[in-house]
Amino acid sequence: MLPLLGGVFLGWSLGANDAANCFGSAVASRMVKFRLAAGLCALFVVIGALAEGRAGIETLKDLTPVNLEQAVVITVAAALTVSILTILGLPASTSQAAVGAILGIGFFNQEINLAGLGKVVACWFGTPIGAVLAALALYRSLGAIYNRLPITLFQSDMLLRSGLIAAGSYASYTLGANNVANATAVFVGAGTLSVFAAALIGGLSIALGVLTYSRGVMETVGRKLVRLDPFSALVVVLAGGVTVHFYTLLGVPVSTSQAVIGAVLGIGIIKGAQTIKRATLYGILSGWFLTPPIACFIAICLHFAIHLKYIPH
Amino acid sequence: MFGFLFKKEKQLESLIYQYLENLGKTQEHFLKAMDTCLDDGICGEFGFLIDQTHKFESKADEIRDEINYLMYSRALIPESREDIMNLIEQVEIIPRIFELILHMIRTQKLKIPEAFMFEVKELIRISVESCELMIKQIDLMLKNRHGIRALLSAIDHNESHCDHIERGLMFKVFDSELDMVHKLQLKELIVAMGEISDQADRVSRRVNILTLKRRV
Repeated sequence: MLPLLGGVFLGWSLGANDAANCFGSAVASRMVKFRLAAGLCALFVVIGALAEGRAGIETLKDLTPVNLEQAVVITVAAALTVSILTILGLPASTSQAAVGAILGIGFFNQEINLAGLGKVVACWFGTPIGAVLAALALYRSLGAIYNRLPITLFQSDMLLRSGLIAAGSYASYTLGANNVANATAVFVGAGTLSVFAAALIGGLSIALGVLTYSRGVMETVGRKLVRLDPFSALVVVLAGGVTVHFYTLLGVPVSTSQAVIGAVLGIGIIKGAQTIKRATLYGILSGWFLTPPIACFIAICLHFAIHLKYIPH
Repeated sequence: MFGFLFKKEKQLESLIYQYLENLGKTQEHFLKAMDTCLDDGICGEFGFLIDQTHKFESKADEIRDEINYLMYSRALIPESREDIMNLIEQVEIIPRIFELILHMIRTQKLKIPEAFMFEVKELIRISVESCELMIKQIDLMLKNRHGIRALLSAIDHNESHCDHIERGLMFKVFDSELDMVHKLQLKELIVAMGEISDQADRVSRRVNILTLKRRV
């Protein structure tokens, strides 16, 4: 059980940070109580991990063959990377950190599945672009339906709130399905866990993070989304969920934060407004490019450090 | 779906309709009080109608407090919360003006000279009609029905008409042989009366913006 702690920690921090992408706007605007949001998010994360987590786990475990010791190094390196970048105030993707750390070990093993890696990197580029497109399509289509609905102001309000809860639950489902691989896939590769056990432990770790430590991030990240009108906030959460779900079906773990940022940009395009500040965008881009090499470097250092041997003269 | 989450919203909806109904009653009693005052002067019936108007105005305040309490306890999404609160804040100015006018007449023992009677009655009639249209417009907005712009233009037309009457009355008052104190008292009263349709127009414009804002 002890070697799994790195993965559990990574899953916990993932849950604590990324739940905000699912329910941040609803909680920060006091539309949904935190307890209800966290409960729904945790439940759907576990369901998502168990129902559709397999594909991502298969992809990550096949990037490079690892043993248990290397699996621990990978999860610890990924967790350290995310922590360091968070302290520096740069948004870090757990998926990129996990893949970066796997690559570091892959260099040591001199065996990297380049086709798999290419697919993963291509999907990283595709995530924000896909989210922009999803937001454009959803805003236009749902907006056309919404404008034609013969409902009162109060019914419209209830519809938007229900929509935010439903979209948040769906986004939580995709978070679990897509990101569970980051936490525990390497242990499947190391032969320590079965795919089901990895999905269950990973899902529960993420859920634990959601339940114990996501409130602050939800309030902070949520407030940024709340500046959007309620309909746009709903589209952002839904577009993020759809995008992440698409990559889940392809079996590639991607960043839910980047999907949400892409969706916010999409709303900006529709409204002709700048929804994200230039400085924030630079921060996101630097986090985007820095995460994999930093995780890779930390994994190499850790692996090197634990293999140092004291040779007395 | 999620119906159990929306008890407060349903309560709020019913309170807002209660508020509008109450506003209608305040306005009805104000009109009766003004008719009594203009036809029979300051009499016992006038005092009773002032008290009735005050009763409904106080009731409106209570309902508004309940609405605000529900809003602060997380009913509605933040944007709707802000919109409804601002709207009610604007609407509640109108019953205050009703009370102000009635108290002005009672405390200053104001008498409207016969020469101005027709214009004053017309000013009151059109102002109250604007309020009725405004309540109808808010109802349409809440029910998401068509006709808001038509009402906006009717209220706007009434407001222009009231402005015209108000200006004419002012000239008449200051051209008259009344003593200066009485002139200034009447001026204050006419300005307050004119404010009713101005405020109804402000609310109406706000309602129109809120309706446009709701469209995606």
